[in-house]
Amino acid sequence: MTPPRRERGLVRPYVVTGGRAYPTRNIFDLVTLVIAQHDRPLSGLGPEPRRLMELCRGGALSVAEVAGHLGLPVSVTKVLLGDLVDSGHIVTRAPIPEAQLPESQLLQEVLDGLRARL
Amino acid sequence: MTQHISEVVFWCLAAGMLVVSVLLLRQRQMTTGLRKHNAALESSLRARDEEARHLVEIRLPAAADSGHQALPAPGLLDEQLTGTAYAWHLQKATELFAGAVDKAQARADQSAKAALKASMRALQGLAHEQQLAISGMQDRHDNPDVLRDLLEIDHANSQFGRRAQAIAVLCGSWPGRQRAASPLLDVVRGATSRIRDYRRVRVHTQVDIAVASRAVEPVVLAVAELLDNAARHSQPNTTVEVNLQPAHNGACVVIDDAGVGMDGQEVERAGRLLSGRRSVDVSRLADPPQFGFAVIGVLATRYGFSVSVDTRSPYGGVRAVLFLPSVLLTHVTDEGPGALPAVISHAAPLVGAASETIHNQAISPADLDPAAARPSPPRAPAGRTDNAGRTDNAGRTEHAGRTEHAAHDEAAEEPIVHGSTAGGLPKRRRRQPIRDRAATGATPAAPLPAAEEAPARSAEETARRMGAFARGTRSGRATAPNDEEGNSPA
Repeated sequence: MTPPRRERGLVRPYVVTGGRAYPTRNIFDLVTLVIAQHDRPLSGLGPEPRRLMELCRGGALSVAEVAGHLGLPVSVTKVLLGDLVDSGHIVTRAPIPEAQLPESQLLQEVLDGLRARL
Repeated sequence: MTQHISEVVFWCLAAGMLVVSVLLLRQRQMTTGLRKHNAALESSLRARDEEARHLVEIRLPAAADSGHQALPAPGLLDEQLTGTAYAWHLQKATELFAGAVDKAQARADQSAKAALKASMRALQGLAHEQQLAISGMQDRHDNPDVLRDLLEIDHANSQFGRRAQAIAVLCGSWPGRQRAASPLLDVVRGATSRIRDYRRVRVHTQVDIAVASRAVEPVVLAVAELLDNAARHSQPNTTVEVNLQPAHNGACVVIDDAGVGMDGQEVERAGRLLSGRRSVDVSRLADPPQFGFAVIGVLATRYGFSVSVDTRSPYGGVRAVLFLPSVLLTHVTDEGPGALPAVISHAAPLVGAASETIHNQAISPADLDPAAARPSPPRAPAGRTDNAGRTDNAGRTEHAGRTEHAAHDEAAEEPIVHGSTAGGLPKRRRRQPIRDRAATGATPAAPLPAAEEAPARSAEETARRMGAFARGTRSGRATAPNDEEGNSPA
C-alpha cells in the first residue's frame, strides 16, 4: 500500500491560521526545539495543532522538522506554535549544541568489523 | 272550334305554368342549398384563416418560448377543425417549428458551453499555476509581513480558481484535479479555503471518515458552493455551522446558516437544479448568473452524492445537507500515537510524519496482527535462512538480509536481547519510545484490540519482510540450479 500523503493544496494556510500571519511571539527559529507538555488536554485544538502535539509527543523536534512533517510553510507553523506556547501546550528550548564527533579509533573499528564481515 | 282552341291553349298554359313553377321551386331549392353551402364554405375558410392567424400569433411563439419545458401547448382555436387534415398539418408545422427551435437552441447552448469551457479551463490552469507559485513563496519567505500578503493573494486566487472551476464543470468539464483520499474534515476545510468569508465557518465534529480519491475534488467544490451560499446570504456577524455526521450507509455534511432563508419558490427551483435531471442552459441562468445550485446538481448526478436544501435550519436560515454514500468514502483511523509505528512499519518505514493514517477498509485485523500473517509464503525461506545463519557461524560468508532474518527469529523469542551478528558487531534495533509510551498510556482511538499487539512486533515484522524481499530477489537472480539455497556465493 502506498503510504497516504496528506494533500498539500487542499487546506490553504490562511484557513489553518484563521487568516493570521504574525506569530504571537517572536521566539522561533528554524532550529528552536519544541517540546510538548503532555498534561494538557488536546480538546479544543484544531486539527493541525493536534497533529503538531502528536508529532512532538515522541520528544523534542525542531521548528523546521515540525513544519516539514505538517506540510506547512515554516512561517505558518510559527503562528501555530505561538498559539500553543500561549496556551501552555508546548515549551521551547534553544537548539542543542552540536554533538562531539565520534573518535576516529571507533570509526576505524567499525570499518574493520564491516570489512571482516563482507 | 274556338272553344277547343282556347281550351287547348288553357291546358297548354296550365301545363307550362306547372312546369315553370316546378322548375322555379327546384331552382329556389338549389339556390338555397348553394347559398347554405357557400356560407358554410365561407365560414370554414374564415375559420381556417383565423386558425392560421392563431398559429402564427400564439401557438408558434409559445412553442418557441417553451424551449424544452413541458408546458401544455395551446391547441386549436376552432373545435370543429379537430381531426381534419388541416389541423393535422398545422400540428405538424408546429412540431417542426418547435424542433427547429430546439435544435437551434441546443446548438447555441453547445457552442456557448464549448467556448466557456475552453476559456475557463485556461483560467483554471492559470489559477492552479499561480497557487503553486504562491505555495512556493510561502515556503521560501519567512517573514510575517510577506506571509500576510501572500495569504491574501492565496485567498483571492483560491476563490478565483473555484469560480473558473464551477463554470467549467457546468459546461461539462471535469473538476480537473486528482487528489489523494482525504479526511472528510480536510475536505470541508478545503472547501472553506475557497470562499470569501472563511473565518465565519465553524466545523464542529471530528469524524474518522475519509473521502475516496476520485470524489475529493467534486465534494470540495460542492461544499464550497453550499458554504458560499450560506455565507453570502447571512449577516456578516453570524457564523456558518458545519457538522459532519456518519450515517447508516454514508456520511452527511450538514451546513446551517443563520441567514434569510429561501421561500417556497426558491426552494422548488433549487430542488430542481440540485436534482440535476435536466441539463442546465447556460444562457438561462439569472442575471447575474447563479451557478451554485446548478453546479452542485451536475456534480451530484455525476458522482452519485445528493444534496438537499429544503429543510429550515434551527438557526433561522437554510440547512443544506450533503449526503455521501459509502461508495465515495474510505476509512481513516485517527490512530493514537500507539498505533503509529505499526502502521508505518507496514506501509513504509521512512514516512513517519502522518499521525492520521488513511487506509482502505480492506485492512483487516489479520493484516495488523503479525501472528496471523506469520504462516504466509515468506515463512518457507525462513527455515533455510536459519540453516544459513548456522553456516555463517561456521565461518562462511553471509549476506546482510539473512542476518537480519536470523535476528528476527532470535528476537521473536527474546525481544529485549538484540544480540550481535556473527561478525561481532552489535545489532542495532529501531528505537521505539513512542510505542512504549503508548503501551502504558491510553490509546483512545486504537481501532482494534489486535492493533495493540501489533506495535510490539512491528520492527521484527519489518525486518522479516525486508529480509524475505531481499532473499527473494537474490534467489530469483541465482542461476545455479543445484544450489539448495539458491543464493550461495559460488
